[in-house]
Amino acid sequence: MNADLHARAEQLIAQERVEGISRAEREWLSAHMHNCARCAELARQTDQTLRSMRTAAISLPSGLASRTQFRVRLRAQELREREPKRRALWLACGVSWMFGVTSAPYVWHLFEWFGQRVGLPKLVWELGFGLWWTIPALFAAAVLLMESSRKGEQADWISQGS
Amino acid sequence: MSDEAKTIARGLQKRDPDLLDRLIEQYQYRLFRYLVYITGNKERAEDFFQETWIRVLERGHQYDGKSKFEGWLFAIARHLVIDWQRSKNPQSLDTLTDPEQEHPLQLVNESESSPLQQVLSQETEENVQSSLGRIPAIYREVLVLRFQEELQIEEMAGVLSIPVSTVKSRLYRGLESLRGALQGGAA
Repeated sequence: MNADLHARAEQLIAQERVEGISRAEREWLSAHMHNCARCAELARQTDQTLRSMRTAAISLPSGLASRTQFRVRLRAQELREREPKRRALWLACGVSWMFGVTSAPYVWHLFEWFGQRVGLPKLVWELGFGLWWTIPALFAAAVLLMESSRKGEQADWISQGS
Repeated sequence: MSDEAKTIARGLQKRDPDLLDRLIEQYQYRLFRYLVYITGNKERAEDFFQETWIRVLERGHQYDGKSKFEGWLFAIARHLVIDWQRSKNPQSLDTLTDPEQEHPLQLVNESESSPLQQVLSQETEENVQSSLGRIPAIYREVLVLRFQEELQIEEMAGVLSIPVSTVKSRLYRGLESLRGALQGGAA
């Protein structure tokens, strides 16, 4: 029998199991395997391999689910406790931002007046104004960074446990 | 969107502890088996199993219920393994598999057949399992997802974040590798 026919049969055997084949292809394959013991054996072996994969079982470590449920509940409690703090932080940021926006023109004049009175160069009091404006955002960013680094430390158990 | 997926999405949004308990029970076997196959190590799989569910709790709001929950769950587990892999050794997923530790997987035969059939199929299963351990992890992973977890090719593409065509080509190559490994093992 032509080697191309075997190659086509092999390809269809795999395709049938991976994504399916058309009716015409199935009929062709079936007719081919009827006359070709090698391809029929290949199909049988492929099916047996896949069946073995499906039926093979792995023993679960004892108490895996209950230990995981316990850990998940602890973490959920931790997240619930952290929620009001986080909400308060966002609220403080929002209030601070609104206050900053509304008071900006007055504060600008205040910095300008103070700078002129003390004799500071323009750049210095402008820089002071910039800092005053960015301090709440920097504070919030610092708190969030601290939180995420703490979370990172908690996740280190995976690499330590391996 | 199925009712089940919708219910899960709503429960995860609220971080419903009872729902999480039920999901852990329901998916424990499939998730653990998947992790054992992609890490090749039961202890490590156990660590990742717990960490996956912690992530499900923390990122539950990101599950929209439009796809099957198991696809999303496997994707989380897979990303955790890859992140860990990268932190350890910035190479492919394949390096996760330590051949010395991988083979003694504690597999038991669940089939309900005659004692003779059990012996014969157990022998085949052992061959298949050891052959699976010998093929590259990227192929082992797609074979496990398709033929053990019975995910659709499109769902697999979602889990693996790769195009459908790549999933298919990995499946074909995986089947070929597995067949080759089986023949090599039998020889």
